Amino acid sequence: MEIQEYIESGIIESYVLGIAEPAEIAEVEKLKLQYIEIQKAIDVFSITLEQMALKNAVPPPADIKPRLMAELDFNTSSKDTFPLTVAYNSNDKSNEEGSIKKMRTWRFAAAASIILFLASAAANFFIYNKYSKKNSELQALLIQTNSLQASNQVFQTKVKEFETANQMMADPEYQKVNLLDPNKKKDYLITAFWSRNTKDVFISVKKLPQPTPGKQYQLWALVDGNPVDAGMLDPTCKSLCKMKNIPRAQAFAVTLEVSGGSPEPTMEQLFVMGKI
Amino acid sequence: MLLKQRQQDAFSYLYDHYSGSLYSIILNIVPDKDLASDVLQEVFIKIWKQIDSYDNFKGRLFTWMLNIARNASIDAVRSKGYQKSQKSKELTENVYYAAGSTEINTDQIGLRKVVHNLKEDYRVLIELSYFEGFTQDEISKMLKIPLGTVKTRMRSALTHLKQVIKS
Repeated sequence: MEIQEYIESGIIESYVLGIAEPAEIAEVEKLKLQYIEIQKAIDVFSITLEQMALKNAVPPPADIKPRLMAELDFNTSSKDTFPLTVAYNSNDKSNEEGSIKKMRTWRFAAAASIILFLASAAANFFIYNKYSKKNSELQALLIQTNSLQASNQVFQTKVKEFETANQMMADPEYQKVNLLDPNKKKDYLITAFWSRNTKDVFISVKKLPQPTPGKQYQLWALVDGNPVDAGMLDPTCKSLCKMKNIPRAQAFAVTLEVSGGSPEPTMEQLFVMGKI
Repeated sequence: MLLKQRQQDAFSYLYDHYSGSLYSIILNIVPDKDLASDVLQEVFIKIWKQIDSYDNFKGRLFTWMLNIARNASIDAVRSKGYQKSQKSKELTENVYYAAGSTEINTDQIGLRKVVHNLKEDYRVLIELSYFEGFTQDEISKMLKIPLGTVKTRMRSALTHLKQVIKS
């Protein structure tokens, strides 16, 4: 294909005027890269057209420009790459400034977050220590409370027992019997309370020697001259101790027997006795 | 603020340099001055919004703007709102032709004036394709001329046009 012939075929004008068919446009755009003459021809006709248009310019109504200036939004940064003769290189600088600003902001944010993290960690450590200390203090207090409660219960029980004993001593329902050393040599003392209604027997040990190992005190009721087992003295019972129910009796006596009790009292080991 | 000022300056420069040339080509296609003014406004808004997509590989900036103006003008003429004035335009043209007047109309300046002075066969083809935006296929059907003939005759018309413009 002769390039000159191609250039003079009218295709260039068709292309520049924008009336060429899509296939022709593609062809010209491909060929103008290969042949500088084609590019030149395009430029020449474009400039000719441009000059003719400038020569024939018709001033538009004066009110159009201010209306356009008002209507257009000049804030959009998309016009940074504006291809006109007006210098726009400095726009890049403002972009750079923007990115530096951005970076500074990021740096500040990063530093601030690190400081916040460290402060938070320190605060956490401090608070955890305090928490641990308080926790062990609380544990100690809980233990103390528990033991106090336990001893309180013990006291309460004791008080209750004493109260009961007191009541029994004052109560006319209970017959009070003091059991003493029949030889009147020792000041042993046990007080027995015998209910006239229920016939229940309670005793309160005031003074009695510790039983020797393997031995236990036993209470007897004397009914018409015969001893009847009235129960073993519980060594753990420190105040009022409930004994067996005795319907009828003339006296009470306590002997020292083998642990668990004997069917018959050992009279040699008679410690206290009291008549009703 | 600086960027805004710069953009305003750039737009101002663009408008001051090219609005007259573009207005004249718009008037070639849209004879009604009020409508042509509206089209000019629309064209500059389009240019400003699409300036990023302008590729200087495709051609000169003015050529690009000229095509935007031409397409916008053809669209305006083809729009429904233009139908009413279309009739009066045809009437004026008929009167103009009938009178054989030498009076210069606004649509008979610049390129259109040059085209108007071409021989009838060429004039019709360029009028229909360039000023009225018909494809070669459409022209072939309208004028009942084979497509091949439209192509070759169009090429000759353009070669001739170039010669006339140059001289």
